Order: sequence, then C-alpha cells, then structure tokens
Amino acid sequence: MADDKQFLADLQNASVDVRFAAWRAAGSVTPAVIPQLGKLASSPNPGVAKAAREALTTMTHGVGKTASTNRTGVEKGLLGLASGDYALPVRFHAFRLLSGIASEESVPAIARWLQNTDLREEAIYCLERIPGPAVDKTLITAYKEAKDDFKPRVLAALGHRRVEDAAGLCAEAMRSTNKDIAVAGVKAFGRIGKKPAGAVTPPEERGLSTWQRIDEIDSLLRFADAQAKQGNAAEAMRIYKTALDRPEEHWQCAAIIGIAKLKSEESAAAILPKMKSSNRTVRITAEKAWKGMAGEATPRS
Amino acid sequence: MSTRAKNTRRKFLKQTGVAGAGVYLFDIVPSRVLGFQGPAPSDTVNFGHIGIGGRGRGFLRPEANLGKKVPSSTNLGGDGTRVLRASRSVALCDVDASRLDDAATRVGGKPKLYKDFRRLLEDKDVDAVYIATPDHWHALQTIMACEAGKDVYVEKPACNTIEEGRAMVTATERYGRVVQVGSQGRSQQAAWQAANYIRGGRLGTMRKVTCWHYASPDGDWTPDTDPPSGLDYDMWVGPARWIPYNQKHTHGAFRWLVDFGGGQIRDRGAHVMSIANWIMDADHTGPVSIDAKGEPPRDGMYDAAVTMEITYEFKNPDWTLVWSQPGTPSKTMEARYGAVYHGDNGELTVTYGDGQPTDTEQKAKDYAAQCNCGKAFRSPGHSENFEDCIRTREKPIMHMEAAHRVATLCVLGNVGFQLQRKMEWDPVTERVKDDDEANRMLSRPGRGPWHL
Repeated sequence: MADDKQFLADLQNASVDVRFAAWRAAGSVTPAVIPQLGKLASSPNPGVAKAAREALTTMTHGVGKTASTNRTGVEKGLLGLASGDYALPVRFHAFRLLSGIASEESVPAIARWLQNTDLREEAIYCLERIPGPAVDKTLITAYKEAKDDFKPRVLAALGHRRVEDAAGLCAEAMRSTNKDIAVAGVKAFGRIGKKPAGAVTPPEERGLSTWQRIDEIDSLLRFADAQAKQGNAAEAMRIYKTALDRPEEHWQCAAIIGIAKLKSEESAAAILPKMKSSNRTVRITAEKAWKGMAGEATPRS
Repeated sequence: MSTRAKNTRRKFLKQTGVAGAGVYLFDIVPSRVLGFQGPAPSDTVNFGHIGIGGRGRGFLRPEANLGKKVPSSTNLGGDGTRVLRASRSVALCDVDASRLDDAATRVGGKPKLYKDFRRLLEDKDVDAVYIATPDHWHALQTIMACEAGKDVYVEKPACNTIEEGRAMVTATERYGRVVQVGSQGRSQQAAWQAANYIRGGRLGTMRKVTCWHYASPDGDWTPDTDPPSGLDYDMWVGPARWIPYNQKHTHGAFRWLVDFGGGQIRDRGAHVMSIANWIMDADHTGPVSIDAKGEPPRDGMYDAAVTMEITYEFKNPDWTLVWSQPGTPSKTMEARYGAVYHGDNGELTVTYGDGQPTDTEQKAKDYAAQCNCGKAFRSPGHSENFEDCIRTREKPIMHMEAAHRVATLCVLGNVGFQLQRKMEWDPVTERVKDDDEANRMLSRPGRGPWHL
C-alpha cells in the first residue's frame, strides 16, 4: 500500500510525470485520502486538479468490479464528496463516479439531492445507474415530491429503468393538465410496457405540439411491442390497428411490422390491403412483412 | 426452397385460413410482376441536414450539382467521378447559427433553416436526413428521426454506449426505416477487392486482424469561457453530461473527450474495424473478451487514450482482432492507419478505410478482376447505396446492426481502457460477465429532456 501522505504530495508535484505516476497508482491508496482529493480537485492549478480527479477515478475503477470492503470505503468517501462542502464540479464528479459503484445503501443519501436545483440532475443520473428495487421505490416517491419542472425527468428515469410498479403512476401522469408531464408519462408508460390496473388515457392529441404527438404515438407503439412480447396479442393488435389507420407512412409501416410479428389470421387480413397501398414504402413494407410471415411467399391475385 | 421454409409457409397458410381458398397463389415472384414496380430512378429525395460543420458540409447537395458528375473527393464513399442520385438539400439545421447562412449559400435555392433539429424532423417536405453532429448526439437523433418517419444517414461512430446502439437497431426495425451509418470504407472498391480475396480463401484460415493508427493528442489547458453568441451550447451538450463551454472541446475537438467523442478508437476505429467485421463476417456477433492496455493524457484537458492496445478474442470461428495506436504498420503498404489480415497462408493489407485513399495489395485487385466471384456485395458508393435503399427499402451496406456491432468494439475498448481490466463479453446478451461497474458503463442516462 502506498504511503498516503507521499501520494498526496506527489499529486501536487510540479512535474507532470510525477503527478501522472501518482494518479495512475491511486488504486493502492486508502479511501482516507478522498476528502483531501476533493479539495485538490478544485485547485487553481489545473494540472493538480486533474491529477486529483483522475486519482478519484482510478480509485473508483479499482474497486468497481464486485462488492467488497474496499469498495464500500471508496463509496462512502465519494458520498462524502457529493454531499459535502466542495466545489460544484467536484460534487458532480463524485456523483458520476458513484453511479458506477454505489450500492442500495447509499440511495437515501443520494436521493436527498433530488430536491437541490444545482445537483438534482447529477443525483438522478447517479440513481438511474444503481441496480435494485431501492432506487425504483425512491424514484416513485421522488416523483410525488418533485416540482413540476422536474417530474418529467423522474418519469424518464422510471421509464429507462422499466419500473413496472410505476405503470400506475405513469397513467396518472398522463392525465396531467401539464402537457410536459402528460407526455413524459406516456413515454415512460411505453418504455415500461406494462398495463396498470384501471383505465389508461393517453393525453389527447389536441393541445400537443407536433413533436409531443410523435412522442405519444411512438410510446404507444413501444407499449404494443411490449404487449406482443408478453403474449398479449389482442392488446397489441388493437394499438397497431390504430396506427395502421393513420395517414402517416411511418406509423402504417410500424403497425405492419408489429402486426406481422403476431402471425395470425387477423395479421394477414390487416396487412393484405396495404400491399395495394398507393404509398410505395407502405407497399414494400407490407410485401416484406407478408413474406416474413409466410416464409418467403408472395400472394398473386 | 428449404423444407423448413415450406413447413413454415404451410403452417402459416393453415393458421391464416387462406390456403385452399383458391384466391391466392403463393410463390416467389419478382415484384415487377405484381405491379410493385419499385421506385422510379428519377425520383428525387429531399434531404434534411442535421449538423453542417466540417463533416456535414460534405453531404450538402448544391442545386447546381443536380445530375452533374462530382469527384470522389466529396468524401461520400465510392470511387472515381460519378453522378450522384437525384436529390436535394431542402432543410438545414445546426445549433451554431454562424454555419447556417454559409451552408444555405453553398446549397443554393431556398433551403429551410432550423436551429432545433426537432423542427426539421417535423418538416413533411423532408424525406431523409444526413446527421453529422458530434458523436454524443448520433443515437438520439437517429432514433428520433425514425420516430418522425425519416430515413437516416448518420455519421460514425453509430453510438457512444451499448444501450444506445441497441436502441438504434430497435427503432430502425420498429419503423422499417433505412439507416446507413457513415463507415464508408465498405463502399470503397479496395475493401470489396480485399473482401473477395479473403472470403475466397486466398489467405487460408483467418487467424488475426491487426489494426494500426497513430496516437491521439494529449491536449493542453485552455480556459473555459462563455459560449459564443449564436451557439446554443445547452443543445450542443444535449444528452451528454454537462461540462462548461470550452472552444477546445466543441467543434472538431470533442473527439478527445470520452463522454463526447471517445478518441481515435471510436473515430477511426469505426472505419478500420468496420471493414474487419465485414470481411470476417462478424456483423451480427462480437468478441468474447476484451483486454485493454495503454496510457491516457498525462496532463491537459482531454481524457481519451493517447496510446492503447486492445485485444479482442472472437469464438466460432476463433480469431483475434487488435486495435493499436500506435501499432505496427503494414510492411507492404504505406499509410497512417489501416489493418493487416493474417491467415494461415499469408497476409493482406487494407489501408485507411474511410474517405482517405483506401487501398489494398495488387494480389487482391488481380484476384477480384480474375475470379469475378462477387462474394461480397459491391456498393455503388456509400451515399448512392443509401439512396438506392431509400427507394428499394433494402438494408444498406452499413446497416444499423452492423454499425452497432462495430461501435460495440469501440465502446468496449474504451470501457476496458478506463477500467484497466480484462472483460469477458457475452455478444448475445450484450453484458459483461461478473463486472458490475463495467455493466453500468454500458448505458448513460440522458440529461434533461433527452432520453432514449
């Protein structure tokens, strides 16, 4: 184990090579140096600040592979940096490193920064990467406590993590009069892919911007894909058919592709008329989908 | 037709209740017989351009060039002087307003100008987009373009994380879009010649591909400043982690930050290793282990590897891919970067692999000319292939799955380099075995409103 005092001195050495050798060997120093590294990471000397940041990174990667006592020590040290009286960029760095190694035990301490405007984006980024149900529960609670301008971000995290327990919350968000929250709700709903108990009412198209409408339909298609994978063909077909009836080429194509995967009599009946579509892309997509279903067969009338 | 295919068809016909109805005859028939004529060659594709900086300018289609011969120096992948397919640049977008007017002048006519790419994607006049933004935007913009119904040519590398690449594949397939990724080396004649030579067995059993490339810069210290007026810096950062504006990490120089560009391996690696994956028929698989060594910048503001050597082991068939910067250059051809293909019966060099003068050895050129074997698909040019596929709806030569697999090599090389440990990779589940931190690094939560 390297001498911690010498290590810290080397990080501040005037020689680039000495600093470099020190931070490359940071995996062998103790987590006790972390608070000092936090201070050095905001040094006015950019070379020293870099060396301290890189030392923190090296220490973290050195313990990141599996859970261990050493990893817990580094995790606690980083949590101290993220939560302590350090420069904002240093705290950002600590959150980003924690995202790679933090355990569920650290979740409450990280989650309290979701209320801090300067740190909430880093905190949720960090939480989003930590596996396990503790984060899922924390995010569901955080949604309820979040200000309106941050609710879409929490919903995005829930969607990204595919938190099935949040499906009902997404359905609730969809009914919000705040369009950003409503659309974030439907986006998370589509990514989670689970139907909650009770009615689901996607935000009405009226009042949505063009891009919000694209988001909404994309999310419903994602939801349909998930339903198809889960064996809920009837629900998937119902959504696909809604898209199939729209005039937009790409939504018709997505519906055709989704319907073809269901491989049923109803699929064939839905796709066949599209093979005579006046839209070339729709026509070709339908022909390919038919071939995919029928093992390269093509209908000839 | 195989028995399996027949069975599948019979089963399907039974399921659908169509068999025996006498209304339809099933057979493989050319589409023209059915009246599915396919696109008329004269169709003009209306392009939108997202990102019109150094690389993006090369994709612009000046009105004045319509139907005229252009030299291969336009860097679109392909050889010699050719006539590009009929297409127009009808909409331009950049977060840097200073670039828009210049690009509009280059294009001529009256292209629509946007600062927010979502507005361009909403534009119903746009059929397809060229995306030449910094790497950290490639995935999300490609996915959003698919959601908006556009076909996409996106610059390489395809993505910055494994999760991004897989999401791009899913979006491409969900919407049935044509997505070509800009590893244009596959559309170069020399790469095709080399592919035929090697796939034709001229080197015997293939054992190893060694890529070489010069080292990355180690950077300096340039103070952060306010962003210039006209640049929407928050949009420039987009889904990536926030960092203060610095002129040495934005336009062009983002390459040397791992979170944004990922260094030489994600830049040129996406060219050189694209050809390697193509030739070695590894477009749908990946390595089983990644072992990374090298050195990051000792000082300065960058963090992408200065030197690195990444060894990838593939199984079934067994072969080794090595990315080295700097590595051992070819003994037979002079070039700043490229790859040597090693088989039991000899070696073959393919230089560069992008818009540079990609070349190979005479023996491969002679073989391709003599055998006329055509084992490998001969792309007419990377942009032409893309535009052909827009019309035919076929997969382009650098389709999304292939691009994701190449980007996977680049991403895993960087992850292994950052972690400084060997990783065991499962190319089916796309997870690292027994390495919690490495697996967390396979995805990057988005920032603000920007999420996959």
